[in-house]
Amino acid sequence: MRNRNYISIFFDDEVPLLQAVRKLRESNEIITDVLSPFPVHGLDEALSIKRSRIPVVGFIFGAIGAILAFGFQAWVFTVSYPLIIGGKPFFAAPAFIPITLEVTVLFAGLSMVAAMLIRSKLKPDIRFVPVDKRITDDRFVILVEAADAKTTLMRVKSVLSGIQTIEIR
Amino acid sequence: MDEQFNFKKQYRNILLIVMAACLLVLLAAILISRPGASRIWANVLLNNQFFMGLSLGAAFFLAVHRVALSGWHTVLQRLPEAMTTFLPIAFILMLLIYFGMHHLYSWTNNDVTDKVMEGKKAWLNVPFFFIRLVIYFTGWIVLTRMMRKNSSALMTSSDIKYHNRRKLFAGLFLVFYAITVSSSSWDWIMSLDAHWYSTIFGWYVLIGMFVTSLAFITLLIWLLKRLGYLKYIRPDHIHDMAILLFCFSIFWTYQWFAQYELIWYGHLPEETSYYITRLKDFKVLFFVNLGINFIVPFFGLITVNSKRQLGWVAFIAAIVLIGHWIDYWLMIMPAAGGDKAGIGVLEICMTIVYACVFIFIVLRSLSTGPLVVKNDPFLEESLNYES
Repeated sequence: MRNRNYISIFFDDEVPLLQAVRKLRESNEIITDVLSPFPVHGLDEALSIKRSRIPVVGFIFGAIGAILAFGFQAWVFTVSYPLIIGGKPFFAAPAFIPITLEVTVLFAGLSMVAAMLIRSKLKPDIRFVPVDKRITDDRFVILVEAADAKTTLMRVKSVLSGIQTIEIR
Repeated sequence: MDEQFNFKKQYRNILLIVMAACLLVLLAAILISRPGASRIWANVLLNNQFFMGLSLGAAFFLAVHRVALSGWHTVLQRLPEAMTTFLPIAFILMLLIYFGMHHLYSWTNNDVTDKVMEGKKAWLNVPFFFIRLVIYFTGWIVLTRMMRKNSSALMTSSDIKYHNRRKLFAGLFLVFYAITVSSSSWDWIMSLDAHWYSTIFGWYVLIGMFVTSLAFITLLIWLLKRLGYLKYIRPDHIHDMAILLFCFSIFWTYQWFAQYELIWYGHLPEETSYYITRLKDFKVLFFVNLGINFIVPFFGLITVNSKRQLGWVAFIAAIVLIGHWIDYWLMIMPAAGGDKAGIGVLEICMTIVYACVFIFIVLRSLSTGPLVVKNDPFLEESLNYES
């Protein structure tokens, strides 16, 4: 076996995965990462990962988008280029709402994507070799930090004895 | 798991005393201030519509979740089921409208000079109005009853066929309800302004009903938890109720605005008349309606933590419930009661009387069986649900 500093544990379902995460944390193993083909409910709490602050980014940029869109339309139609449209007043607030809504959604959405990419340091030309190609399909993997691979392997195996795993290596 | 709600005599007495007191005040208010027949009938219609909407929204909640094979709602499904038992009473109350028809619906008074009404006569005539009313209620009552019956069959038997049947009736209910909620809202609310029409009106009413029933289910959970029941309903279930309340409040606003903006933009006299009466005489309520039903749930329930606190969600739900009562008020009263309409002792007392009857029936129906459907195939999933 190649000398590595981690142990990977394979599952084919999310339920044993969650059980295993809880058990490993109880027995003070350090989990470096959990890989799954889809978001697993309750995994964040089980790993006690702090809540993502992306919604805050979304809210702030959404609010900026709303103000910007409404303000811009109000400025254009009252100051910069007033037009009479269908006999409506220049400051026709209801007519501005759909565009305000769209720009809010656009700002919130794009800012959240951008924040996610920046925070997780994702950029083009990132190479990632998966532990097992099937984690992009139907495999779940827990990676456990191991200073000494052999003893950790034994420990992990005994901790997870009651849980349905596919492979531990 | 065999926990059963005990509808104690004490609770019954409280409800009956409140109801009796409000009934007396109501009668006194009617005798003293003489508000006129049209205002009284408009109140009857308003409360019929509001509390029937609670029942129908609850049935819609159940049907949607069952068709979508949702697991999380399983532990609380007996609450909306109990709410649907009010429908037969709503039927009787709605039939009462017959005696007040001429005070409410101007199209019942034959006016041959009105060309517009001549054109609408095929739909808006008294016999057909009641034929439709009976069809709506028969469908709703039968389908919700079948859903309930198969649900309670699952308490004693573990045969999967009851679950499948329940799903079938849920699907039938959705189709029937989608059509009838539109046409019933044309009949009962839109035809108050018989010249006015709005094509989105049915959906607007539907979402209003759904939001009110979500708010009421949340309040019911809060009440039962206060009384020491429903220990197994955890913040995860509250979270989902709050998410639904949050997003359907936004969707309600979307519908509200879609109706408002198209009419404002189109600027056709037969359409704008609706908003002109409401903005001229009831400007404050008009904006209060929007504020209570959009701003309060939007900012009140936007963070995760606020969605998981039952007390807070119930508080917001109570505000939203009042907000949607005001929404129905704005749909019905300006058309039926004219510019003299207002919110006074009459309105408040009659609503409390209706609310007492509604709560009484819901709690009585809840007390007839265990609070959890024991053999529901999704029960285990729901008990271990994490949102």
